[in-house]
Amino acid sequence: MNVIKRYSTLYLMMLPILLYFIIFTYYPLLRGLIMSFQQFRLIGDTPFIGLDNYLKVLRDPFFYDVLKNTLQIGGGILIVGFVAPIVMALLLNEIAQRKFKKIIQMVIYLPHLFSWVVIGGIWIFMLSPDGGVVNEILLALGNDRPIHFLSSEAYAKWVMIFSASWKEMGYICILFLASIVSINPSLFEAARIDGANRWQLVRRITLPALYSTMKVVLLLNMMSILRMFDQIFIMRNPAIAKYVDVIMVYTYEKGIMEFNMGVATAASFIVIGMTFILTLLTRIVIRYDN
Amino acid sequence: MHKSISSKIFDVVNIVFLLLIVVSMIIPFLNVAALSFSSNLASMSSSIILWPKEFSIEGYKTVWDRLDLWLPFLNSSIVTVVGTVMHVLLSATAAYVLIQPGLPGKRFLVSSILLTMMVPHEAIMIPLYIVNKDLGLINSLYALIISGVVSGFSILLLRNFFQQVPYEMSESAKIDGAGELRIFLTMYLPLAKAGLATVTLFEFVSRWNQFMAALLFINDQSKYTLQLALKALIIDTDSTSSNFLMTTNVRMAGVVIALIPLLLIYPYVQKYFVKGIMVGANKE
Repeated sequence: MNVIKRYSTLYLMMLPILLYFIIFTYYPLLRGLIMSFQQFRLIGDTPFIGLDNYLKVLRDPFFYDVLKNTLQIGGGILIVGFVAPIVMALLLNEIAQRKFKKIIQMVIYLPHLFSWVVIGGIWIFMLSPDGGVVNEILLALGNDRPIHFLSSEAYAKWVMIFSASWKEMGYICILFLASIVSINPSLFEAARIDGANRWQLVRRITLPALYSTMKVVLLLNMMSILRMFDQIFIMRNPAIAKYVDVIMVYTYEKGIMEFNMGVATAASFIVIGMTFILTLLTRIVIRYDN
Repeated sequence: MHKSISSKIFDVVNIVFLLLIVVSMIIPFLNVAALSFSSNLASMSSSIILWPKEFSIEGYKTVWDRLDLWLPFLNSSIVTVVGTVMHVLLSATAAYVLIQPGLPGKRFLVSSILLTMMVPHEAIMIPLYIVNKDLGLINSLYALIISGVVSGFSILLLRNFFQQVPYEMSESAKIDGAGELRIFLTMYLPLAKAGLATVTLFEFVSRWNQFMAALLFINDQSKYTLQLALKALIIDTDSTSSNFLMTTNVRMAGVVIALIPLLLIYPYVQKYFVKGIMVGANKE
């Protein structure tokens, strides 16, 4: 009792925070789990129906489409959105003029700051077949007819991958630059005296020094694959929905638009399970590496 | 230092390449800004515009007064300011509690907070919708303020900053009779200014850009936030829309208005963002 009294102010301070997590994270998690085993009705009772909702999801061919899309688009972003910032950071590091470097950093960081509504809207506009900047440039370069980037199966996924990588490139690039800057300069000096050329410096000193940041970035990107929502929800349209809809969009459509909440929660628990496994795997790989 | 020819060639190619990247980043925004300041008619012509054509602020007038963008702007401002202040205060409070040595149950508290970071909000959107509905928060700005009013990430980040404050200071203050709340408010908060600034900026940006929560909890147009209104304005309508008000300059003016608050805080963001994310990431 004495202990509780001594720390009572601290516990009291913690109370609102715990309440928030209980009401808006733990309870919804539990509620969702229960809902996924129930037949959802707005009014009246909601009987338990065992695994029916899960089976419905697993028997829905569209679920496999969105699963495939999630892995393809997410995988694309994982690769392009990982390699591009590293290349960018290495190239930027080769620039001698500090002012120029600063300006580039400032500019490439901008898209990260803006919402997907803004970025998605701008890209839809830029890629538009009538008068969009990209198509105007392509026409000027000799393309004979405008490309319908956002209504064709061939381009839709790539547009998603590249716009996402474009948006986050500057931000991740700056993370890498920060760790390049923290490399001990005497390492470069010593290597130069030994006659190493620029490529060898990058290959032998800079890249290995980026290793731990690479792991962090990979982990962060990995976690965000399965929760992708805003970008796709904003940039999709009926013509390409089949090729770009991801799992979270599926959940939203099923739960909020069709009011099929049992099925929707079942789908999201499949995702939570996959996230859990993915996180565990990544952690094991990274630990193992250490 | 002597440079070989191939090295010089590389420098030139490198600069050209980086300039191209920068141009690819600037052109979209320049295009949007130029269109927003063009006249209704000029903005509809299909040519690349990087400088206002027939300069006019018609677009801004229309989107602000006739399409009432001021209302979602106001809603977003309320949610962002109130939400950010509460988020920073609550996260700091939790961080302060979690640095107390010998607090019984601390391990449990820390791990239950860490666990919340594993559950993405997106994955529980349906039950979250139900919970907000049960609490009568649908179509209320409170729902948006409460959503993410404290987060594991901010708590851990601030805890790192608080841990740098020497504990002896608060110990001697306690001997002098100061209570926990007073130590927290008058010693820790002022000493962790950099941490508070980082969290404030992070939160300001993500609140201003908050989309999914608004999409889930708000249907009533009078409660729309800027992001919802913008989606309706620039994505759900296109240039073939029958609404005569929706010329391109009007839609682009909407985009520019949404960017202004972010551009205003951008210089500060640059200063703190990297620091913040590295601290947060290393902690995970």
